[in-house]
Amino acid sequence: MLLQQLVNGLTLGAVYTLVALSFSLVMGLLAILNIAIGELFMLGGYLGFAVIAAHFPLAAALLIGMGGAALVALVIDKIGYEPLRQAPPITPLLSTIGFSIILQNVVTNVWGSDPLQLPSGLFDRRVHIGSVQIGVMQLVVIGVTVVLVASVALLIQKTAVGRALRAVSENREVARLLGVSADRITLFAFMLSGALAGAAGVLISLHYAAITPYIGVDTGLKAIAVMVIGGTTSVWGALIVGPLIGIAEVMTIAFGGSQMRDFVVYGLMIVTLLLRPQGLLGARSDSGQPV
Amino acid sequence: MLTVRGLEVLYGPIRAVRGVDLDVNAGEIVALIGANGAGKTTTIRAIAGLTAFRGEIAYCGRKLRPNAAERNLRAGIALVPEGRGILGRMSVGENLLMGVYCRSDRAAALADIDRMYARFPILDQRRRALASVLSGGEQQLLAIARALLSRPRLLLLDEPSLGLAPKTSDIVFDLIAALRRDGLTVLLVEQKARQTLKFADRAYLLENGRVITSGAAATLANDPRVARAFLGETSAASPAAPSPLADQPVIRPHG
Repeated sequence: MLLQQLVNGLTLGAVYTLVALSFSLVMGLLAILNIAIGELFMLGGYLGFAVIAAHFPLAAALLIGMGGAALVALVIDKIGYEPLRQAPPITPLLSTIGFSIILQNVVTNVWGSDPLQLPSGLFDRRVHIGSVQIGVMQLVVIGVTVVLVASVALLIQKTAVGRALRAVSENREVARLLGVSADRITLFAFMLSGALAGAAGVLISLHYAAITPYIGVDTGLKAIAVMVIGGTTSVWGALIVGPLIGIAEVMTIAFGGSQMRDFVVYGLMIVTLLLRPQGLLGARSDSGQPV
Repeated sequence: MLTVRGLEVLYGPIRAVRGVDLDVNAGEIVALIGANGAGKTTTIRAIAGLTAFRGEIAYCGRKLRPNAAERNLRAGIALVPEGRGILGRMSVGENLLMGVYCRSDRAAALADIDRMYARFPILDQRRRALASVLSGGEQQLLAIARALLSRPRLLLLDEPSLGLAPKTSDIVFDLIAALRRDGLTVLLVEQKARQTLKFADRAYLLENGRVITSGAAATLANDPRVARAFLGETSAASPAAPSPLADQPVIRPHG
């Protein structure tokens, strides 16, 4: 029972990790909260659903979900953020809230407001390890998350683009003096963030074999909580806290009842804000926003 | 190499630079000196492409666009900004890698980084250390080394001795003189007028966003207007603070 819940929690945590990483990339680089990431996650899920419904393989669903969400993220950067860069941080935040509502409306108009469900038997094959049953889709969720997170980590730490991203994050002006096109790097961060959210949307919707236009709100808020607990100035906090929150949530439902599930996550967020506002891995006195 | 005509920079309603004209010839060290708020840093930032401006800045015969730092770097203009502009959350090695970010000749760029380590052994010893933990002097060497890695023809330095001990300042000034011997052209902003005028070829004295006087550094070192500019600033800003010319017996107040 406990092992089973651990696996379920890790699956959920993997998705929180991806979405929190998506929030952290933009937050770390630009110090703004892109609220529309929750809806990019939802949009990725719908695109993945559409691709699977058209009898394409899972890899195609992932690519289309990531690509579609990345393209919408590009539009959000160009219309909702770039023209407002000199404005106070609350202005682009409000702009992303606008995008969030518009995206929800678009999806509702295209796919309807009722939940969509995949035909049963599509992704519900299970493997048995002792007393633990693991869905193949759960393994896919965890496996794809590990690959994506490792790729993002490698990109940020070891490549020229990653160094440019960190340079813009630390000092935009100095980065420009070193030949970095800060606008292009910002766009890249938005698109990468969108792609991660889109991937998470595809994975979770196929895992549950169901999706609604409102799935982004709940998951987006949870991912914000994960980011806050991990540290808004560190993308790496999400890697540790995402799985922990997933496990905590599943354990709470299993042993405390589903009415308690959000109490633990948001309770932990409030405790973190009170006791360690910078989060577990955030820097206490940084003026900038390390990626 | 560099021609500036009628340069004006506005910060909102404030005209920080008001019609500055200056020239820098290839192979020269030219200094912009003046009190705080004279417009030196704003001028050098406009040349580097960090601010919007009116007027004309031409480099090697080509007009520079305002606010085009990335383009200017690729054209051969590198700026070491005031406060050094070190990326403190990156290692020394990563800072140097950022110096070759704009270059497409990867093998040659990596060889240049090795040469830079050979030239500045302290950076080689600390290549894995976070740049933020280096001393001020080491950070300045790192900033200059990083700027040189873009292979500039014109190096802009904004207050390279700021916050450095006198001995370390001397090392930095010796380095600047050595860079000129290597064929680099240097335009620098400095508060330490006496030391700067010793190794610069020419200088411009700025006050309230305008060029008050200019000429050979040796001539300017004895110009009473230079001393007056600094003393005026000191007495107005903080009577208790040591004068920027306190260690500069060459320059005497007028009268």
